[in-house]
Amino acid sequence: MSVSLQLVHAKPNRLTTIVLSWVLFATGIALYFDIAQKRHRENPEDRIMPTIAQMFHGMTNATTNPAEDDEALAENASLRQRFLASMLWKDTVATSRRFTYSILLLIPAVLLGLHMGLFPYVGVFFLRFILFFDKIVALSLLPILFIVFGIDELSKIMLIVIGVTPTIILDTFNLTRGVPNELVVKAFTLGASDFDVAYRVVMRQILPRVLNSIRLNLKAVMLFLFAGEMIASTDGLAFRIALLRRHMGMDVIVPYVLWVALLLFLVDFGMRILNRKLHPWFQEA
Amino acid sequence: MALIQIQNLSVAYGTPLRPVLTDINLSIREGEFVCVLGQTGCGKSTLLKMILGAEAPTRGRVLIDGMEHKQPDRTRGYVPQKYSLFPDKTVLENITFGPEVSEFNMFTRLTPRFLRRRRDIREEAMRFIGRIGLHERDARKYPHQLSGGMQQRVAIAQALVTHPRILLMDEAFSALDPGTRKDMQRLIRQLWRDTGVTVLFVTHNTQEAVYLGCRIIVLAKESADAGAQVAMDMSVPEPCHEHQIPVLVHHLEHASGSARGEVPVFATA
Repeated sequence: MSVSLQLVHAKPNRLTTIVLSWVLFATGIALYFDIAQKRHRENPEDRIMPTIAQMFHGMTNATTNPAEDDEALAENASLRQRFLASMLWKDTVATSRRFTYSILLLIPAVLLGLHMGLFPYVGVFFLRFILFFDKIVALSLLPILFIVFGIDELSKIMLIVIGVTPTIILDTFNLTRGVPNELVVKAFTLGASDFDVAYRVVMRQILPRVLNSIRLNLKAVMLFLFAGEMIASTDGLAFRIALLRRHMGMDVIVPYVLWVALLLFLVDFGMRILNRKLHPWFQEA
Repeated sequence: MALIQIQNLSVAYGTPLRPVLTDINLSIREGEFVCVLGQTGCGKSTLLKMILGAEAPTRGRVLIDGMEHKQPDRTRGYVPQKYSLFPDKTVLENITFGPEVSEFNMFTRLTPRFLRRRRDIREEAMRFIGRIGLHERDARKYPHQLSGGMQQRVAIAQALVTHPRILLMDEAFSALDPGTRKDMQRLIRQLWRDTGVTVLFVTHNTQEAVYLGCRIIVLAKESADAGAQVAMDMSVPEPCHEHQIPVLVHHLEHASGSARGEVPVFATA
């Protein structure tokens, strides 16, 4: 065989890359609506696979009608007022608030990991306990959290903290230990104090990697957040999805799922851009 | 009195203990350019780390100006082979880091005095950047944008800007290509003459040691499982004529490579 197909060495051109990378999206969407159409021809009342028209209708309701039936809006309310009172907006705000608190609570986790990695006494004090804590399946603690903290916000945020912080602490710890010793020694020879080394040398160097680690853990944060919201909540995106399940409200559930994916994608994308802007020196290797 | 005094220094690592250095006794005067020569794995870098204070010896002690130093500090500058610059700081920030942290802590950095002083520090750093042969526009570059030779130039400036009495260099030029290496050797000789700093230069390259040092210390092991000892301690005639270099190199390579202990320790002062 003189002409062989290149596999490992293949170099798809730009057009091929674009076409191939969208094939699965296109097939998935086409297949969905094809099957949905067939089901609707057989049974116009089908609720399992809503058509575009149904989903559009469902989302129009979700974005322009008040979240609660008793909060009637004035007849002449503007579109903006309607949207701000709508189900989708209120759910998004509620979920985002919990999400933000959880992310903010990761800051102490990062600082703890840094100090554990740099100061041996802090390290030996916390490391074994956190390694143990890391192995606890956070969702198995959910009932305990509801009993101890009640079913309001605190228990949901605690669930995320318990589920995600050990990973972040241990990751920061390892990143701190991975900073070349030469640089730490060098900083001391230049007259730096222990805290200069911690905050001006080591922390600045691990920060881009820590941000990447948080980005990887965004899914875990959302997972625990959704678990909490689905089980005990009165608002939030996951609460709505769980609620609509009872009414087989697929026309709203499907757009909601896509909306959540889009939000998470945007947060991740934003953090990536921020990381690049804040750390122009960082070489991803 | 000697600036650096090493007394009965022994170092052993691991379990079971494997000796790296055995009974090293040295004294180094202020202003000497000492090259520590030896084969890979003979404990040259370990000796340097002991002087740095980055690790503690198993036995013996290292005195700097009569005092023991338990951790690295401003008296000893350091230029390692790799990771010699802070990757998150520009060339200018790398050089100003030393003066800034040694004069200001995290709180005094917030005072207006810091802003005034920083202007002077930056000016001095820019002077250093010129002295090591970098262009002004390189000041804003990050280390990864510089070549290996340029990085080591900045690392030397960074170490010297705080005016340490001792400069410790660990295979600082070993990763550079021969041409760049030659330039760097000239640069460090020049800076040594200008500043009068005491240099301890660790290398495995005999040519380099002979070219640079005014004194050469050869570390060698008597057998594979013994710790290294000082096999030779000699002064290099100054100025060292080009034609003498091959003879010296031959001597030294014989000392560090062949049956140790038989070679007489001699000095050609």
